[in-house]
Amino acid sequence: MHIIAIVVIAVALAIIVSTISNSSTYAPFKTAIDHTGSTFHIVGKVNKNKAFIYNPEVDANLFGFYLVDNEGVEKKVIYSGAKPQDFEKAEQIVVVGKMEGGEFQANQVLMKCPSKYNGDQVNQISISKNASE
Amino acid sequence: MEIQYIGEHLVFGKLGNAFIILSFTAALLSAFSFILSVLSKTIEEKASWKKIARMSFVVHGLSVFAIIGTMFFLIHGHYFEYYYVWQHSSTILPVKYMWACFWEGQEGSFLLWTFWHIILGGIIIKKSSEWESPVMITIMLIQVFLASMVLGLEFYGIKIGSNPFILLRNHPDFANLPFIHLPEYLSKIKDGRGLNPLLQNYWMVIHPPTLFLGFASTAIPFAFAMAGLITGKVKEWVKPALPWAYFSVMILGTGILMGGAWAYEALSFGGFWAWDPVENASLVPWLTLVGAAHVMLINNKNGTSLLSSFILTTVTFLLVLYSTFLTRSGILGNSSVHAFTDLGMSGQLLLYMAFFVIMTIGLLIYNRKKINPHEEDEKIESREFWMFMGMLVLAISAIQITITTSIPVINKIFGSKMAPPANAIDFYNSWQIPLAIIISLLIAIGQFFKWKESNLKEVVKKLSLSFIISVIATALLEYNFSFDRYQYIILLFTSIWAFTSNLDYLIRIVKGKLPYSGASIAHMGIAFILLGSLISNTEKQVISRNMLNVDLGKDFSNKENILLYRGDTLAMGEYYVTYKGKEKVGVNIYYEIEYLKANHNTGKFEKAFTLKPIVQINERMGNVSEPATEKFYNKDIYTHITYAEVEEKEIKTEDNNYKTPVTRTIAIGDTIITSNSLVTLMSLNKEQDKKLLFLDDKDIAVGASLSVVDINRKVYLTEPIFIIKGSNIYTKETEIPELGLKFGFNKIIPDSNKVTITVFEKKSNSREFVIMKAIIFPEINILWIGAILMILGTWLTIVKRIKNIKSK
Repeated sequence: MHIIAIVVIAVALAIIVSTISNSSTYAPFKTAIDHTGSTFHIVGKVNKNKAFIYNPEVDANLFGFYLVDNEGVEKKVIYSGAKPQDFEKAEQIVVVGKMEGGEFQANQVLMKCPSKYNGDQVNQISISKNASE
Repeated sequence: MEIQYIGEHLVFGKLGNAFIILSFTAALLSAFSFILSVLSKTIEEKASWKKIARMSFVVHGLSVFAIIGTMFFLIHGHYFEYYYVWQHSSTILPVKYMWACFWEGQEGSFLLWTFWHIILGGIIIKKSSEWESPVMITIMLIQVFLASMVLGLEFYGIKIGSNPFILLRNHPDFANLPFIHLPEYLSKIKDGRGLNPLLQNYWMVIHPPTLFLGFASTAIPFAFAMAGLITGKVKEWVKPALPWAYFSVMILGTGILMGGAWAYEALSFGGFWAWDPVENASLVPWLTLVGAAHVMLINNKNGTSLLSSFILTTVTFLLVLYSTFLTRSGILGNSSVHAFTDLGMSGQLLLYMAFFVIMTIGLLIYNRKKINPHEEDEKIESREFWMFMGMLVLAISAIQITITTSIPVINKIFGSKMAPPANAIDFYNSWQIPLAIIISLLIAIGQFFKWKESNLKEVVKKLSLSFIISVIATALLEYNFSFDRYQYIILLFTSIWAFTSNLDYLIRIVKGKLPYSGASIAHMGIAFILLGSLISNTEKQVISRNMLNVDLGKDFSNKENILLYRGDTLAMGEYYVTYKGKEKVGVNIYYEIEYLKANHNTGKFEKAFTLKPIVQINERMGNVSEPATEKFYNKDIYTHITYAEVEEKEIKTEDNNYKTPVTRTIAIGDTIITSNSLVTLMSLNKEQDKKLLFLDDKDIAVGASLSVVDINRKVYLTEPIFIIKGSNIYTKETEIPELGLKFGFNKIIPDSNKVTITVFEKKSNSREFVIMKAIIFPEINILWIGAILMILGTWLTIVKRIKNIKSK
């Protein structure tokens, strides 16, 4: 019985270590730039004064916009997916990806559905990485 | 001076509030009375306290029904002076979705939970004889806590609960708006916010009640466990609790599977399980519950695993409270699709969790002499040993999911800034697939071991038949699917073996006797669920690959969406796909997508099927996309619109911006191709009404009869006219405004039977398009068959366990 308890605790510790080491980090653009090539979660607001780049006739899976992070830094984000429906209404969003050549390459865009009074539901739009790659 | 507001119906809110307070106090009284009944020494005292407890239970139950009834009345009557009615319903909402409004909000869902407890409590009172009072203590305590969640009282800045009857004008979001304190403010509120469009379907009507019944039912085994500790009958509680444990397994499992089915069918996640935090939060208690139910079986058989039974039933209930906390506290924020906003009740929920933890530990310590954890270790050749191992694997699975999902909680406690893994699904799978392999192995071999001790050789011999069949089946399927990771191949084998082994057991050992078939059938169900998930997820094929690739590097090579112009046909997988057009019905826009297959014998395209995925327009909350799926027995083809233009392109008839016209010299039978149609010269028509054209008999007028066919194969007929009046040549042009086309007949070429036709196309004929994603899910029906088997098998087990109690 005691062996079992030890095994379970050992596995639990392994899980904790594994989770922490696999976790991503919320960071501002500055950190992503300093660690170019590593994946981060960046929280920010979309700059709606700058035009969105979306030419589905050319490539339906390329969408560009400008994001301002919580430190006020603005970067161009290129998302390798289709423009999310109602992106114009997005308030705060989270992009997941890495910096590459001065632009942020995102493979996930997480949007919160807007509501005038109380943000209720969150929309997650992402591309799942092909598991067999 | 008191403002008299016009049009308010305040009496109902006041009534509702009265019932809330009544339900709270009645629950409190009932809990105390049950406690005193158990603690009483004489039979008369026990009976009289029990009577008070039952009566207050009835009062509590009736007041809860009254609260629910009042809320329905307000929603149905569109009384938007109440914040809850405004926030979750609207005048245009169909009546059938009013149930969905009721539990869309937190207060409504707490009431739903409370409601189920009342039903279950009623059954306990009727059926549990000597266990009634001790079990009801815990249930009524839970009811007190649930009732407090809708109290909405405030003491010195501390908020207790959130009241569903709060008035719109008193709600913090509205209280400071300028118009809200005008007497006629209500007339300015034209409509409620309405139900989130994602929730306007039948799933929202059936999934939450089932899931909440599942959550509520986890309290029963826990209540029995506490009853055992309170009365000192630390072993006897297991037998009567067993049918309840399996009832909970069945209902909660069904609720979770419904969530998966909903996600698959109507939401655009592209699958039925996304390891989303809220999905995880409901799965984890189910895993520990299954563990609890199995160790309870061990205890029932030979008295061991008592401590595990206590721990697991308690942990299951606590995890249900924890999952409530996770989903409602807002702590998940950006990391989940389901997350609700924080109503400030997370402190309360934590308090309740703490209460029950302390209560359980306290009672366990009090009874420590009777619970002997130093049991004889089970022999490896015993069924108990392997069942116990199964419980451990389930526990590890639950721990992994919980820790990863709780990253936001860890952040809050330790101040870290961890984000969920960048590739969450892969991370969960990396742990859960090996665990699924072990579990399915245990399911395969478990039943063939006898209780207490088996002959190992006998076991191996009995297992060999299913083992061999499974190896062959695996080889065949692997040849067909070619999984690229070895873990998938192993899971393929173990889940097939779990299925065939239990089928073998059902046929050869149980000999098909229904009362004893529960375990085998349920296990077959689980095996199929794992198998179906494995195949449909790993072999899922996104057939809408974008042909125009802009390479952004290895990590970003997913081009899963395809652009389809209206009328164009593109190759997708084994099909050719055409976007025919869109049709607006109410708030939904249906996009007609036609799937064609090439018939290699005739060389023609034949229509295979048509799918109509939807975009639902919702101005307030944003448009949402709903997929459409074509089901075959061996696969599903799933399509959804990722992006589409929803506005109608106006055809401005005054806008004469035509592109450079196309002039062609053609004979009868020839065709001119435009961007949206085919124009064929059918005949030349010399019979023209010259008077109508202001011509004399000497003048010449010839019409070119044109047939214009658009992409929907709709035929338009038009006839531009070639005119010679005197020595001048004219053409009378004709128009087809729907296609933005204009036609002229400019020349007849003598002696050649050819004519010159000019086609003008409007510049605004820009092409309508959609961006869509199509996925093939192979063998997904195996998953749904597995779900049905699991529910059936668990049901048979419940029946057997109830018979067991009666036969003693």
